[in-house]
Amino acid sequence: MKKAYKILPVYTGDVSGFASALYELGGMLVIHDPSGCNSTYNTHDEVRWYDQEALIYISGLNDIDAITGNDGKFINDIVRAAEDMKPEFIALANSPLPYLNGTDFKGISKIVEDRTGLPCFYVKTNAMHDYTVGASEAFLAFAKKMLEPADEKIKGGINILGNTPLDHTNTGFVIPEGKTIVSDWAYKTSLEEVLKAPSAEHDLVVSSTGLAAAKYMKEAFGIPYELMGNYLDVKREKSRNYIVGEPVISGFIAARIKERYGTDFNVIAATEITDGLLSDCDRKCHGEDEIREALSDAEVIIGDPMFELISPKSAKFIRLPHFAMSGRLFRKEIPDLMRLEDYYHEP
Amino acid sequence: MPTSSEDRIRIADAEFPKPFNNGLEFNAPAHGTWNIVHIGFKIPRAHQIYICADNCMRGVVMTAAEMGELSRFSSVVLEEDDMVFAGRLEESTIEGVTDVLNSLPEVPPVVIVFPVCAHKFMGCDINFIYSKLSERFPDVKFVRGFMDPVMQKRGTTPDQRLRKAMFDIIPGGDKDGSVSVIGCDMPLSKDNDIRKLLEAQGVTVRDEAACKTLEEYYDLGKCSSVICSYPAGLLGTTAFCSRTGRPMVYMPFTFDYDAIDEALSQIGVVPVFNGRVSCERRAAGLKTLLGDSEIAIDYTAVPRPLSFARFLISHGFNLKRIYLDAMDPDEITDFEWLVSNAPDVMLCATMHVRGRRPVRPEGDQKILAVGQKAAWFEGTGYFVNIIEGGGLYGYAGIKALLGLMEDAFIVPKDTRDLIPRKGLGCCCVI
Repeated sequence: MKKAYKILPVYTGDVSGFASALYELGGMLVIHDPSGCNSTYNTHDEVRWYDQEALIYISGLNDIDAITGNDGKFINDIVRAAEDMKPEFIALANSPLPYLNGTDFKGISKIVEDRTGLPCFYVKTNAMHDYTVGASEAFLAFAKKMLEPADEKIKGGINILGNTPLDHTNTGFVIPEGKTIVSDWAYKTSLEEVLKAPSAEHDLVVSSTGLAAAKYMKEAFGIPYELMGNYLDVKREKSRNYIVGEPVISGFIAARIKERYGTDFNVIAATEITDGLLSDCDRKCHGEDEIREALSDAEVIIGDPMFELISPKSAKFIRLPHFAMSGRLFRKEIPDLMRLEDYYHEP
Repeated sequence: MPTSSEDRIRIADAEFPKPFNNGLEFNAPAHGTWNIVHIGFKIPRAHQIYICADNCMRGVVMTAAEMGELSRFSSVVLEEDDMVFAGRLEESTIEGVTDVLNSLPEVPPVVIVFPVCAHKFMGCDINFIYSKLSERFPDVKFVRGFMDPVMQKRGTTPDQRLRKAMFDIIPGGDKDGSVSVIGCDMPLSKDNDIRKLLEAQGVTVRDEAACKTLEEYYDLGKCSSVICSYPAGLLGTTAFCSRTGRPMVYMPFTFDYDAIDEALSQIGVVPVFNGRVSCERRAAGLKTLLGDSEIAIDYTAVPRPLSFARFLISHGFNLKRIYLDAMDPDEITDFEWLVSNAPDVMLCATMHVRGRRPVRPEGDQKILAVGQKAAWFEGTGYFVNIIEGGGLYGYAGIKALLGLMEDAFIVPKDTRDLIPRKGLGCCCVI
């Protein structure tokens, strides 16, 4: 049954992805949820919570308000908190109960915007998807709401799109000579920096969470984008060596291994956004049983240590901890993904 | 008196038992308190299965992972189609749990199934689910857990109901003269007068929080009387005693000498000789060490924070702030005493939006905190790392806590490292 997880954890969820994506941008992020989303997020899905301020709150929805659709309390609480905490903008996220009762988040956003005078937007989530969906929707919604066309371009300027600690906990991106980073979406960055994005000449998508925003910026501002390392240009063949994880990062690593060692690895994409991100030899899997089946003939597997729990004993397993899968468990082992030599050695 | 929209209020101006308005909620990075996953694992060999959406699942499955208990944890992830089609939620739950149990190396003797808010919201037939599962797995005892925080503001909390469901499977066999202490997650400390004095009289004390085997857990029901030592366990303990005909004494860790003596006499032990004098001596020693240093405490540290506050104030300590969001109605007497005798003590909310920007004392002031939340809000490394009273009780318990305060004031802790860890006292592999 694809919905049953006998031992494997689920990936970070969409609501946490939403919060992670917008963490550093000075907004007030409100999750319309009874309880749990906040603690889950800041304990298991966020490396910055203890040390770095972000205005991320839940609504504390109760049963009566959920059943009667009492949006007034939600709106009043947001307005009061915004007056108190003075955010730069407000972003709202959904959870299962408001999703089920069809809460009108766009309408609520409009009312909040009118009452606070702050930009307010809704990020499509419902807690039933993984973090790539939530972060992707957050970047897209933010771009649509907040970006204005630039008066002039910055020569050689690039935007890094899809950079959150969920995927790139310790990654140090290497920028080609003559290029300069205009904005980083959105880790170790700021609102001021991110708002400069339309002045870039080029977008670099470093995870599937950045793809939707890249497509939007191409359409709205004429900024072309490319995937990290142009990994799809590197031809790979069918193999029994697998990299399991997020598709852009996995594809990038597979391409680097092919280039450096000539060894083929196929990507098993275990997160949700994959359209246009996989080579013919790769596949998308959903849930523990599908991933287990896909790995069943493996000779070599690269993946988060959690995947070793469902890998064949005969396969050689190369650990590549991924914060969005194993959270804090192996955080100290998470490498700089740009430094292949630190985590991959040809078997 | 209306509730306050502020994040802190003088106790003299506070509404009892709920001093603060509901609003958007902040969550401080202090996670030592137990959640339903930690609590459920107190039943040895029990397997937990959660049926919920991806984002909700993440918190519970990672709790199990950080405990090193993934082999006793499984999940069924709900998606949109489960919510939309009539009957699908029951089907997904039953078939998902069945699939999980059939895939385990052996079927566990106890399975705690956790439906969620959505099951209630959709009017899911929970009884049908359990009857089907019991039909398919007749040798399994199913414990009816619930992860429905949407209900917790107006009624009982999920953890209160979980504790009750966990006690529901304890058989009430023949009484053997023992006493069972249930309801608290912290095992009885060596500095616990309940345990010390009963054992000194030759009475066997069974501790729910210390059961190592399922047999030991079931044997809790052999007792002749029951002690509930923690407020969240009261609902379940009361139900257990009502079902099995056992008398119950409620003995949360209090700092009121008379209440200690009365409670101890109720369980048939003689109050401790010299108990008060030795506590007074210890308190005086601590006061000499602390002088006028500020103290802050929080509601997660001890089950009776206002009783603790009263003790500190009445012994001359400079208690400044109590971190809590609501008060136990049982603490009304201590509340009134504090209003009269320490009106300027501040009650500070832990969930208020301003909690994200805690106002911390400037300079090198050395502040002693008792509890993780107090430590975080105060920004101090001088704190007692304790939850739920730490298994302490009575004069021995008070002395031990004063000793922990003394240690904490002398040797600072690494707050950044300690308090984000989940489930203080549980196995933690990070």
